Amino acid sequence: MPVIEVADLVKEFRRPKQQHGSFAAVRTLLTREYTVKRAVDGVSFRIEPGEMVGYLGPNGAGKSTTIKMLTGILVPTSGTVQVAGTTPWRDRARNARQIGVVFGQRSQLWWDLPLRESLWLIGRLYDVPADRFAQKQKQFAELLDLGPFLDTPVRQLSLGQRMRGDLAAAMLYDPSILYLDEPTVGLDVVAKERIRTFVGRLNRESGTTVVLTTHDLDDVEELCDRIVLIDHGKVAYDGDVDELKARYAPHRELVVQTDHLEGVEGAEVVRREEGKVWLRFDPSVTPPAELVAAVLARHRVTDLSIVEPELESVIHRIYADRR
Amino acid sequence: MSGVRALRVYLLLAGAAFRAEFQYRGNLFINILGGLFYQGVGLAFIWAVLDRFGQVGGWGLSEIAFLYGLRLTAHGLWLLPGHQLVHIDEVVIEGEYDRYLIRPVSPLVQLLTRRLRLSALGDLAGGAVLLALASARAPVDWSPGAVGFLLLAVMGGALVEGSLQLAASALAFRMKQVAPIKFAIDMIFSDFGNYPLKIFGTAAGFGLTFVFPLAFVAYLPATVLLDREDELAVPVWLGWGAPVAGVLLMYAAYRFWERQTRSYESSGH
Repeated sequence: MPVIEVADLVKEFRRPKQQHGSFAAVRTLLTREYTVKRAVDGVSFRIEPGEMVGYLGPNGAGKSTTIKMLTGILVPTSGTVQVAGTTPWRDRARNARQIGVVFGQRSQLWWDLPLRESLWLIGRLYDVPADRFAQKQKQFAELLDLGPFLDTPVRQLSLGQRMRGDLAAAMLYDPSILYLDEPTVGLDVVAKERIRTFVGRLNRESGTTVVLTTHDLDDVEELCDRIVLIDHGKVAYDGDVDELKARYAPHRELVVQTDHLEGVEGAEVVRREEGKVWLRFDPSVTPPAELVAAVLARHRVTDLSIVEPELESVIHRIYADRR
Repeated sequence: MSGVRALRVYLLLAGAAFRAEFQYRGNLFINILGGLFYQGVGLAFIWAVLDRFGQVGGWGLSEIAFLYGLRLTAHGLWLLPGHQLVHIDEVVIEGEYDRYLIRPVSPLVQLLTRRLRLSALGDLAGGAVLLALASARAPVDWSPGAVGFLLLAVMGGALVEGSLQLAASALAFRMKQVAPIKFAIDMIFSDFGNYPLKIFGTAAGFGLTFVFPLAFVAYLPATVLLDREDELAVPVWLGWGAPVAGVLLMYAAYRFWERQTRSYESSGH
């Protein structure tokens, strides 16, 4: 049974129409004309327990608005959302106990208090029993290496430290669902990796369902098996990451390091640079082994490798096709 | 959420806000002093008026001081928990309210405890001292019943002021910018609240009772306690019932707040 079920979800934002000319500000205030913007336009999907789903889309596609309806922050214009048996905006408090939420752009910790105290407060707000809390805090302090800054006021933490603190705070009360909104934005490579490792581990060991929005597709490649792509408020793709690549980017590239190569049957030269040649081929038409054999038979090759398409370029192509 | 749990959460979070405020200790004392000073200036003005004219609307110094003390104490009693509503505009526009909605506790309680402004302690302490001094000198027969009514009146007054501010704050979810409205409400309370209402004339008196329920904060309870019911244009039971008005208004304001929060739009999409 799906843990998250979204059907025909719509969210419209109604704004007074901006007036121009003299007394524009006053007329804007008094106008009865409205502009309606449909940020989410009939989105449906289901997520099973334990799935890790990348919820992707360009800026303004409706990602955050969807997440805000799933977490109970916004009330939708129409459509239904069920999260583990609750309607988030109606059973807001009940839903809050079963979800953890991390916004990369905005901390949920107490700015002027030491991290340790933020964690303690969250433990109290969610009625975590004292022994359970101690155990959780110890576990997260180890996994996320919080020890060195547990007693530092949150406002003095680096972004990476703060994100680790936020993650610990979001998981302290063992929610079964974790929403991550841009969790790695602005972080360095090491900090990103640490967060991905932690999330992957939560999912494997506790079966936590993870919904991730991000612009960093490395997050998705590393964590998610499935992506839901949204564009202009509608679902543009929902399925396997591998299948997405197969459908939109069926080609592989063979990179050959050689002094001379004119061309090979079954592949197309797409790029040449400093003694390297990039050959593009469709593995379902030209089996890689045959191609490699054909190249090796006729050329002196010092090195070669097969490159998979990056998710990033695949998604760029999808957006480009839809415009 | 049950009332008991809401209170427990309030105390927990207010304690956290208090500890956070102690990170800036200098601020703390300046704030309390500022509150005291601000109210002191207002009182000095009334004292100057009374010094020149002897009485205002037939009310002498001790009676005016009693009215002033009653209103100021009610104001301080509301402001101490309610001060953070002053920031409702930025909390809504910048999407800080998001954070309150993903916790299993009342968003309003989280808003009220986002910080603690201790200048309200200055208002409350100043008001309580003034009220105590004036109570001793004003011509009131301090039976236990009268003392009890005074305490209820202070709480009712705090609820009346709080209800108007809460209702105005609730408009922020649709209108985004309500600071001018809230400022205007505050001005009316502090400009008209410290005088016997009858000096403003019948029409204004009616308006400040039934349109803008200012009279229920201090004027009505002070009038019945001071035994000046004769000057009331409204039935006496309305004077004795003033604390109930606070409870009813706050209930209505809270319901209004709850309804309006459904219009919250967050920030960015």
